[in-house]
Amino acid sequence: MSFLSPLFLLGALAAAVPIVLHLLRKEPDTTVKFAAVTMLEDAPVEHADRRRLRELLLLALRVAALLLLALAFARPFLTSDAAGAATGATIVALDTSFSLSAPGRFAAAQALARAAIDDAPGEHLVGVVTFADGAQVVQAPTVDRTLARAAIDGARAGFGATRYRAALATAADSIGGRAGRVVVVTDLQASGWDSGERVDVPAQVELEIADVGVLPANLAVTAARRSGDRIVATVRNGGNERRDVRLHLEIDGVAAADAAATAGAGQTVDVAIPLPTPTGNAATLILDDSDGIPADDRRYLVLSESSRPVVLVVTNAGDIGRDAFYAQQALLATGADGASFDLDGASGAQLSGWDTATLARHAAVLLLSTHGIDQRGRELLAAYVRGGGGVLVAASPDVDAQVAAGATGTAIDMIALPPAPAGAPRVLAPADLRHPVFRAFSSDAATLGLVTFRQVVAVRGTGCQPLAQFSSGEPALIECPSGEGRVLVLASDLDSRWNDFPTHATFVPFLHETVTYLGGNRSRTAGFVIGSAPVGVPAEPGHRVLPAADGGQERLIAVNIDGRESDPARLTADEFRAAVVPLQQEGRAPGDALEARQQEEQQNFWRYAILLMIAVLVAESLVGARAA
Amino acid sequence: MAVGGPAGERRFLDPAVLARLGTLELKARTIVEGFISGLHRSPFKGFSVEFAEYRQYMPGDDLATIDWKVYARSDRHYIKKFEEETNLGCHIMLDVSASMAYGSPGMTKLEYGSCLAASLAYLMNRQRDAVGLTAFDDGIVTMLPASARPGHLRGVLVTLDRLTIGKQTNVSKPLQQLAESLSKRGMVVLISDLLDDPERVIRGLKHFQFRGTDVIVFQVLHVDELSFPFNRATRFEDLETDRQVTAVPAIVRDHYLEAMQGLIERYRRELGAVGIDYHLVDTSQPLELSLLAYLSTRSRDY
Repeated sequence: MSFLSPLFLLGALAAAVPIVLHLLRKEPDTTVKFAAVTMLEDAPVEHADRRRLRELLLLALRVAALLLLALAFARPFLTSDAAGAATGATIVALDTSFSLSAPGRFAAAQALARAAIDDAPGEHLVGVVTFADGAQVVQAPTVDRTLARAAIDGARAGFGATRYRAALATAADSIGGRAGRVVVVTDLQASGWDSGERVDVPAQVELEIADVGVLPANLAVTAARRSGDRIVATVRNGGNERRDVRLHLEIDGVAAADAAATAGAGQTVDVAIPLPTPTGNAATLILDDSDGIPADDRRYLVLSESSRPVVLVVTNAGDIGRDAFYAQQALLATGADGASFDLDGASGAQLSGWDTATLARHAAVLLLSTHGIDQRGRELLAAYVRGGGGVLVAASPDVDAQVAAGATGTAIDMIALPPAPAGAPRVLAPADLRHPVFRAFSSDAATLGLVTFRQVVAVRGTGCQPLAQFSSGEPALIECPSGEGRVLVLASDLDSRWNDFPTHATFVPFLHETVTYLGGNRSRTAGFVIGSAPVGVPAEPGHRVLPAADGGQERLIAVNIDGRESDPARLTADEFRAAVVPLQQEGRAPGDALEARQQEEQQNFWRYAILLMIAVLVAESLVGARAA
Repeated sequence: MAVGGPAGERRFLDPAVLARLGTLELKARTIVEGFISGLHRSPFKGFSVEFAEYRQYMPGDDLATIDWKVYARSDRHYIKKFEEETNLGCHIMLDVSASMAYGSPGMTKLEYGSCLAASLAYLMNRQRDAVGLTAFDDGIVTMLPASARPGHLRGVLVTLDRLTIGKQTNVSKPLQQLAESLSKRGMVVLISDLLDDPERVIRGLKHFQFRGTDVIVFQVLHVDELSFPFNRATRFEDLETDRQVTAVPAIVRDHYLEAMQGLIERYRRELGAVGIDYHLVDTSQPLELSLLAYLSTRSRDY
């Protein structure tokens, strides 16, 4: 038996209190020699011997209740002998990205993983983590290696892209503070690390890499777009030899056209395929590549022209040309994929007079001012968010935190911070480059660091996740859940009063990506990458039909794999390790504490102690009531 | 009615008590004498009757006692009073069990009962009735045979003065012993707190009644036993058994009083049903009030 918080056992000393009180308790100081005691015998009184017994029982119950309370707070748990004897752990992180879905590659990865389990030192616990876009612990550290092998056998390559950061962070969490090793079974794709990305791993954890090997000769359709009466597909030849490219186009499931081209080794070519007339809506490009990765041989596209999504900008007076000039110009600009937005402007007072249907026509809302938004307006916006809408709140002197919280249905708070000292302006740094808002920046994310913020607020909220932070450490952009919708809060404004963001080239793509992400189900965007698809869409490539939202029509979208995963560029083991920062941890075996916490959380003995304590208190009440 | 003699005699024959009995208007002497003549229903009526006095007729007097000759002379109604002389044998039984030790200092139930017994003995002796005394707890402790000799009263009083607290109560056993020892019908006065099994007590007293012996019962209880005035949590220790019961009076008071009242009512009901006089005596009240209550009852009944 071990305790997670043994100091609470000191609370057991409180059990001495009733004992001392019992010992110090004075018997009734009045003793009367009485003649008619027989008349009292049938009365509800206690005879001395029974009372002593009852008092001892009460004392025992009270002491037991206090001991159980102290025990519950100490969080007891049982440590198995085997687990207790284990001196370390070996965690196998198995890559399940689609780059391993080429014939035979994932089986090879599984073999490497099983070998890592078999080679683990006898005193080690073993665990398994699978990873692609995210990471999951499929087998927590255990002494039973059969379970670990079964977890490896049950793993399958999916459609996600590689992300080492998630894998190592999860493995480090799983291994806890124990000394041990993490064996990463991967094909070492360079795309697994974002530019400049680093991950902390405890220094006592040894990192090993089991290389599955280079990608086979692979052709991949990495992008496709409609251009007038034809479709232009981007095909990458990841092999070392010149390859003939043969593309087939299906429209609504029917073969429509073919195209051929030649791609040199490592080259990317655009292949144009004419669209038949009349054309359909759901286009699928199929690439002949029997030896390569199957997942990147198909690209899905929606051909129908869709009306441009409408974004509502809430400003002081509703005149977005004057109140939100930069945001207006950014959103009206034509994006790289041809999409752009229509804008509506409204003041807070005007918004408060709208009905639900009017607001529901907007894909997203930029809340740049809360002036004039009354209770009805707040409830209208909050219902819009709960129903799946998205709102970007940009902090400024025109935004009141309390009104913004009410309007978004979140518990956000904003506190003004002092201006940045001269010469040391705050700059922006994404915390999660894979987030859809920053995905478009890719390796150019560093350019966001050119933006300087003179004035910011400290934003925080219950359940909110930071997506970017300032160089001074404060959150710059947070995402807060609210029903089915999405709420982003920017800690500075969008109108160049507090920063120079609108004057930088990153402003337009940032705003486009943000609005697209916020739009979610309401956005007219038809193309999504796995991982950023609307809520509820399976993480598999293909065409999907989104249900109607707020009286609208059903909408066809296309979900594709992340084309970067088809990039054959590889890292060396040293380059891989270069992104891993050994983290020196102070104190004794913090991982032990983590493991202990995990064990304790699995066993939850404290709940039984509390339940037992309640039962004891009930018994004490009953006995006490009888005594009274 | 001064009473001389040793201090022990004066202790029991409180002159104030007897003086107050004597000063109760004209009736006082009549009541006391009536106690002697009326209380003791003599089995040998008419043995010796002496004229005592004339008294003006009062409504309620027996018309047979009106002296018509005096009426003829004075045109007023007078009744003749006679001093009746009996050879009644009266036995006073005093409970000296440990439970009688309860009471305030100077006036325990035993001391109160002793005073009551001495008063009765004095009055009976003054009437030249034979008075006997039996002290008992779970058996007979002391027994003085009934006698009307002038010096016998002193013996009774000295015996009362020397009584000490005994053991547990068992009223029925000495009642049986006394019943077996009485050869003539007479009167038995029982002075006890009767904190015993009422079934056995009543059965024993009925036994006397069936033998033609008049029985008068004084149940002597302290005011604490009647009102249970305790407030704080108290450990009550039985005077006879040393058994302890800890109780919060506020909680048990109603139950106790109900039980005590039930006991009293049972004695009153069942003893009254067989013609046994029952009197509840509260030690907080002056002794003479208890006597007067008894005398009033007798004067009403006879």
